[in-house]
Amino acid sequence: MIRAVFHKELVDHCRDRRSMLGALVLPVLGPLVLVGLFRLLSQLGGDPPIQLPVVGAEHAPRLVEYLKASGAELLPAPPSPEESVRRGDVDAVLVIAPDYGERFALGRSAPVQLIVDQSRSEAARTARRVTRLVYGYAQSLGALRLLARGISPEVATPIELEELDLSTPQKLAANLLNVVPMLLMLAAFMGGMNVAIDTTAGERERGSLEPLLLNPVPRYRLVLGKWLTTVVFSTVITLVTLVGLSLTVRFLPLEEVGLKVLLGPAEALSMLASVLPLTLFASALQMLIATFARSFKEAQTYLSLFNLLPMAPSMVLMLEPTRTAAWMLPIPALAQVSTLVDVMRGESVPVWHFGLIMLSSLAYTALCLWLLVRLLGREQIIFGRS
Amino acid sequence: MIEVEDLHKRYGAVRAVNGVSFRAENGKVTGLLGPNGAGKTTTLRMLSSLIRPDAGRSLIDGIDVARDRHAALARLGILPDSRGLYPRLTAREHLHYFGSLHGIDRRALERRVDELIELLDMPQIIDRPVAGFSQGERTKVAIGRALVHDPPNVVLDEATNGLDVMSTRAMRSVIRELCSRGRCVLFSSHVMQEVSELCDHIVVFAGGRVVADGSPDTLRRDTGEANLEEAFVKVIGSTVGLS
Repeated sequence: MIRAVFHKELVDHCRDRRSMLGALVLPVLGPLVLVGLFRLLSQLGGDPPIQLPVVGAEHAPRLVEYLKASGAELLPAPPSPEESVRRGDVDAVLVIAPDYGERFALGRSAPVQLIVDQSRSEAARTARRVTRLVYGYAQSLGALRLLARGISPEVATPIELEELDLSTPQKLAANLLNVVPMLLMLAAFMGGMNVAIDTTAGERERGSLEPLLLNPVPRYRLVLGKWLTTVVFSTVITLVTLVGLSLTVRFLPLEEVGLKVLLGPAEALSMLASVLPLTLFASALQMLIATFARSFKEAQTYLSLFNLLPMAPSMVLMLEPTRTAAWMLPIPALAQVSTLVDVMRGESVPVWHFGLIMLSSLAYTALCLWLLVRLLGREQIIFGRS
Repeated sequence: MIEVEDLHKRYGAVRAVNGVSFRAENGKVTGLLGPNGAGKTTTLRMLSSLIRPDAGRSLIDGIDVARDRHAALARLGILPDSRGLYPRLTAREHLHYFGSLHGIDRRALERRVDELIELLDMPQIIDRPVAGFSQGERTKVAIGRALVHDPPNVVLDEATNGLDVMSTRAMRSVIRELCSRGRCVLFSSHVMQEVSELCDHIVVFAGGRVVADGSPDTLRRDTGEANLEEAFVKVIGSTVGLS
């Protein structure tokens, strides 16, 4: 009989334009928001590409390739590099020594020189960027050489320093991370909203609740059937939104704004493990709230306001980034947002975190559904309050 | 058979139902007649388990509604006061939904739906979504939904309310058909003609009480009025709320 209710509600709501439209808002809007924010960021911040004259580019074709691939614009060297730098015509000049290739092949340090005038701040900045690029290249080569000798590259990097730049563009970019969980929260809550309202407040408003309750079916089965339908909508929408966001992130050149976001299939799976328990709870809670409302409209008002709540944790974490702590896990939405950010940063989330999220969500869901069953036995709820 | 014994229900200071007892026999149409607000709907909601009475009990074929709700409901087909449909579903889907809630298996359900299409004369509308239905067509679906499990007891709350002449006539013939098949039909209305036309047994409500109970003939004899309408007015004490 749970199946009968589930089947009916599913058919009914797949035909409901309002349910379908309401559900489709986020999967479409989510990626657009992400792209929009990204556009904004790359306009605001993002350094212009490095313009770098190179002397002796022919000696180190690989290095030159790497620099180009990293976004540097390589120029032919001026006739007198040092003079040009001193005059300020160019910020810096990279000089690759003729014996670069020879020393490189022997496995020795290959010399590269960067001519720069550190007293000019603009030039110093460019020089820093070039330095970072070259060291980055050197480091990956060094790692390869160590690997070839059977040594873990980590041996040679006792400390890994990660710089978190808090200047405006980077901060904004880091916040882009928080948008993804926020959109997923919204998807989880909005996906099933219309179904949650229609199967509770809507059922009573159109006068079909009384006939429904006159069937010899335990109320918990009716509630479970309706809840499952809401969960299906919420889950499918969350899934579609996640896939959309994942693809968007993949095609956005996030490195350009200095952002490292991981959102591949593996990350998406971890995120699902965190968000899916929330769809169970969100569906039950929304149905409970809608049951209290006097009409469909009233329920819609309540829930539109209520659905802003799960965005709060994202806002807080945006202002004050913190790592996931155990106390956050039983708090719906906060737990999800926090673990999602962890996942996207590439940190591994312990399995028991997911377990705790699942357990707490199940407990809240059970409580909501139990209350809902109780409510459906009350005269004021069945016949409406006026 | 439906038996109601000394039902009471009060809302705050209002005694909505104040000691109502009556009995509706199989193979007869029993009419609950009374002005709006006389306690008919509250009584029907109590005997269909949606409202818990303060005192008294209701028996459906001897099953106490409060003790075994599901067994009682399985033997009841109810057209309640609110009879909303699902606008996006077809008439057939309504019947299937309620049939499967009664646990009727697929094949028996198909057969039963065919019977109902014939009984309620709705072959033209059975596969249309109910969104565009007229009041009469909607009532047919609501009745079909209530009868899908072929219940031995049928409760119709203001079944002919808001129906045009043709639909009202169709409804009457359905009620007579049910009665001739030996079902117990309990029919509530505030329309005197409706009740006097259909019912073998009339229970008159006023102010949450049963003020008269018997066949139309008994009612006429007891009140000394030759006209049934005059008899009703006499037992109710006023014409307020009757039509």
